[in-house]
Amino acid sequence: MAAPGISERSAGFLLSHTPLGSIVRAVARLRLSVHFKLLAAFLLVAVVVALMGAMSLEIITRMSRQSEAMHMAHQRVSSARQAQHALAMQMSFTAMALVLRDEATIASILRENNRLNAMLAEIEEGAPFEEREIIQRIRTAQGEVMATVADVANLVRDGKIEEAMRLQLTTGYPLFQQVEGLVEQVVRIEESGMGRLRAATALANRQAFYLMGGLIIASILLALLLGFVTSWSFIIPVREAQGFLGRLAKGDFGTRVIVPNQDEFGALAARMNDMSAELCRLYEDQREAAHQLETLNSQLARASQAKSEFLANMSHELRTPMNAILGFTEMILDDIYGEVPAEVRSPLEDVQTCGRQLLRLINDVLDLSKIEAGRMELSLTDYSVHEVVETARTSLRSLAAEKGLEFTAEVEPDIPLAYGDGKRITQCLTNLVGNALKFTKEGTVAIRAELDGERVVYTVSDTGIGIAVDQLDHIFGEFRQVDASISREFGGTGLGLSITKTFVELHGGRIWVESEPGRGSTFHFAIPLRMAEVTEET
Amino acid sequence: MSQKKILLVEDNEFNRKIVRDLLTRQPYSLLEAHDGEAGVEAARREKPDLIIMDVQLPKLSGLDATRQIRAEPETAKIPIIVVTSFALSGDDKKAMDAGASAYLAKPYSPRQLLDAIRKMLGDA
Repeated sequence: MAAPGISERSAGFLLSHTPLGSIVRAVARLRLSVHFKLLAAFLLVAVVVALMGAMSLEIITRMSRQSEAMHMAHQRVSSARQAQHALAMQMSFTAMALVLRDEATIASILRENNRLNAMLAEIEEGAPFEEREIIQRIRTAQGEVMATVADVANLVRDGKIEEAMRLQLTTGYPLFQQVEGLVEQVVRIEESGMGRLRAATALANRQAFYLMGGLIIASILLALLLGFVTSWSFIIPVREAQGFLGRLAKGDFGTRVIVPNQDEFGALAARMNDMSAELCRLYEDQREAAHQLETLNSQLARASQAKSEFLANMSHELRTPMNAILGFTEMILDDIYGEVPAEVRSPLEDVQTCGRQLLRLINDVLDLSKIEAGRMELSLTDYSVHEVVETARTSLRSLAAEKGLEFTAEVEPDIPLAYGDGKRITQCLTNLVGNALKFTKEGTVAIRAELDGERVVYTVSDTGIGIAVDQLDHIFGEFRQVDASISREFGGTGLGLSITKTFVELHGGRIWVESEPGRGSTFHFAIPLRMAEVTEET
Repeated sequence: MSQKKILLVEDNEFNRKIVRDLLTRQPYSLLEAHDGEAGVEAARREKPDLIIMDVQLPKLSGLDATRQIRAEPETAKIPIIVVTSFALSGDDKKAMDAGASAYLAKPYSPRQLLDAIRKMLGDA
């Protein structure tokens, strides 16, 4: 696995040094499916986003309401100013009427009065109680003003200018001033209302800004938190499983994976633990079985060893009397005890032949027991291939002659001195030739030895009964003859080929056979001309 | 010149008899010992011209007896033919290592033994 990166390390720090670790474990422990947990996390983030949308909609609505209110406040202030203006104009036209004394100016006074009233009506609508009270007082005072103006106008029309001016100065003007003061109050009320509204709007805007900013930050943090918690509540069991599988792969059967999860990961972990327990059980069973096998094996090996030792000892015990039997027979036939009568010589020779046969059998059994005990060793020396063939030919020449078989031996000239166990190779060749003679009633038995690269190939061919194809694989096994009737007809124990094969293989060689039933068999074995010296050490 | 002395160390009566009979008409006198210890003792006492030593002997094995005979200066030079009935590969080497002059595997042909004796004693 790659070395953990920075994000990996910081995640590790967060998990072990902050409450995030316990949150992650708590989420893992929730008895909810992974599907549901992921859905819940996404849904939570979506809810926050929707909330933000709703809030911004609300803020936009409020702001548009506020701007409408501002517009109205502007209008009211403007109306108040116009009212002030109308009043001023009214005063001005009244003064002008005193100078100009015409009806048009007087009409202008009335027009301005009407404008003042219209503006007051506009302001009065939606005005607070105290303002309405002031407006009411304005109307009352304005009524008095207009009454005075009417008197002044009549005096002007009557030409009583002096009187008109007096009335205007004593009554009209103070009344004007009173109305002016009241209108000024209305203007100030409206203006201060607008100021308050403006401040409130600014405050609301600031609050909306902070609220939205806060919400954005909160939603980002929430998304990060949810992402971290859900992902780590899944990563932790995966990590644990990874470690678990690693231990399992190393052969730690029975190891357990422990995860806080109670979701699919928890179920998976439980399955893995079951599997591990099962593997552990199987492993134990297998070890038990292996142990039993080992015990059995060593028992078998001991039994086999005992058998081999018994056979070796038996062979020794058999050889001692055999020595006497063959020795005395030979000495009798050598006339050491005096001239042997002709009629006794033949049965004595039979005793000798049978004794030698018995000896070969004993030797085979001894060899086999040594092979089985793994104690067969080759005695390596220089030897001559010519001598091997000559020895085999000489020892069996009389048997071939007895059966009337053509018996030939051919050795490639100039084969160099060989290195190996010459006695054993002679034994192999003698076994094969002996078999060939045994299973051939008429025709030829031929020995050939030739050099093939670094190997000497010995070939023994006969024109005997041959071997069936399905038997070819078995004939090199111990106690194998093609069938029991063969054993009855031709005798032999079936040990020869097995022993021959073992000796050939001990030399690092190979033995094979070609045969056709009824036409004869050809046995070959190939032996390294010179065995490697190291083979001797082993 | 007196007859050459041959010491046969062999525990089996029949096998002793073979050698005895084989040598009856030969110009050798035969001494017999039945176990390894007696063989070493006889060799020391009689200083034979040749020893025929069986390997599987009671009390002291033929190979150990051979080693002892070789270890003593007085008997060290006596030729010894070692005879074994195990005939395992490597037995000949063991016999030679113990100090045998020649090695025969049982069952041997009496003719072969006689040839070996004659060769050893320079009578061939």
